Amino acid sequence: MREYAFFLGCIAPNRYPGAESASYKTAEKLGIKLLDLEGASCCPAPGAFGSISLEIWYAMAARNLCLAEQMKKDIALICNGCYKSIWEVNHKLKHHKELKEKVNEVLKTIDMEFKGTIDVWHLAELFYDPEIVGVQKIRDSVKVSLEGTRIAVHYGCHLMKPRKERHFGTTEHPTWLEEMVGALGAEPVEYRNKMLCCGAGGGVRGYDLVHSLDITNEKMINLKEARVDALTEVCPFCQLQFDRGQIEIEEKFGVKYNLPVLHYCELLGLAQGMSPQELALDLHGISCEPFLQKVL
Amino acid sequence: MPRTKGYPEALDKKLADTRLYEDERHPEFTKTVEKLSMSIPHMCYQCGTCTASCPSAPRSSYRIRKFVRRALLGLEEEALTDPDLWLCTTCYSCTDRCPRDIAPTDVIMAMRNLAFKRDIIPVNFLKTVQAIYTTGHGVPNNDVNRAARKKLGMNPEPPTTHAFPQYVKGIQKIIDYYELKKNADRIVKEREG
Repeated sequence: MREYAFFLGCIAPNRYPGAESASYKTAEKLGIKLLDLEGASCCPAPGAFGSISLEIWYAMAARNLCLAEQMKKDIALICNGCYKSIWEVNHKLKHHKELKEKVNEVLKTIDMEFKGTIDVWHLAELFYDPEIVGVQKIRDSVKVSLEGTRIAVHYGCHLMKPRKERHFGTTEHPTWLEEMVGALGAEPVEYRNKMLCCGAGGGVRGYDLVHSLDITNEKMINLKEARVDALTEVCPFCQLQFDRGQIEIEEKFGVKYNLPVLHYCELLGLAQGMSPQELALDLHGISCEPFLQKVL
Repeated sequence: MPRTKGYPEALDKKLADTRLYEDERHPEFTKTVEKLSMSIPHMCYQCGTCTASCPSAPRSSYRIRKFVRRALLGLEEEALTDPDLWLCTTCYSCTDRCPRDIAPTDVIMAMRNLAFKRDIIPVNFLKTVQAIYTTGHGVPNNDVNRAARKKLGMNPEPPTTHAFPQYVKGIQKIIDYYELKKNADRIVKEREG
């Protein structure tokens, strides 16, 4: 059993606790134990916080990294925004001596030091990596096949982009998440402009909600065209934007989509036999019932 | 800084006259942006691939190419007072496609940092800081969520700064080190009374 410090972030534990709970349980079935990272905070939000001061953003993210360094465990997380902060700051501090010294000067005031001894992973990439879990093992863990459902995938931005700093290969047309959806028995569906942003990032959701929802609406139009039963993603902030965003889109633009949005861990949980109650799907803004009826 | 249609008067006037005046250029602005962004906006040949890739461009007057040009020419005032500066969703599509290996997204982030130094910042950004300062979380827990967590058999407070509030002190120390909370409170008060 591999052990990782589980960095929760904000939106999963505080808005979609089902996604958090599903992560522990699904990962355990696939040989990954997620340990509590006590005292972790907001990553902090790369768009909102980084826009104010990258310097403070580095220091705040480094504090979270130090907590995991003290546990001597790599970090696993389930949010693209957190990935941007935690992975990128870890990477930058490891490679820029000057930056690391500056951050450590601040961390000294709280008796911490960034050493650069751990790595950061998104749980989805651990699931996909054949040396750790791999698609075959995911397929073997399925108890309730999602056969007969059409599912679209939203990759989000900060997991794979900027491409040159990351290690995921193409960002124009990736297919690895589709493989993972296919492993659950569902049919992964292609749709127009799949890699388009959800519209929430960079502080835009707070700055200009209508502008941000307009981007989401474009995605929703493309998804509707593809006639999918559900949308899956690997970022609770995208999930919030698509799920609660649909309610806001109805208010602002008068269009209704009723498309269930599930985090990949929630979807995997369903396929591994967790009940909708165990996943707190009733907390979702858009009812998952039509999708569940096809599955269960 | 609520977003309104049109630009602030001074910027509007500036944009109506497209001539480049030498005294509006600040070469040190170009250098600061390059240093902060760890990128190379001076290499831009204005092909426009960035704007073409931008999800914000089709629905606003935000043009990332324009901002990179402003970085290159050192047009500090024009760049920092433009309310469109805050419409980048930081999706990094422009960065992935730039044929000159520039990171326009990081150029925007650098400009936002410089704008904040002059108190130019939308309040919602500051409110995130205030939330993190008090609870450790940008999106804190609430009662509906606590009840749901309980029903799931989880601790109503996640094992973050919520269940271990003694860690909030360290976060406050880091933020205070840069006097960020003080500045955030002051600006929010000025805007909202």
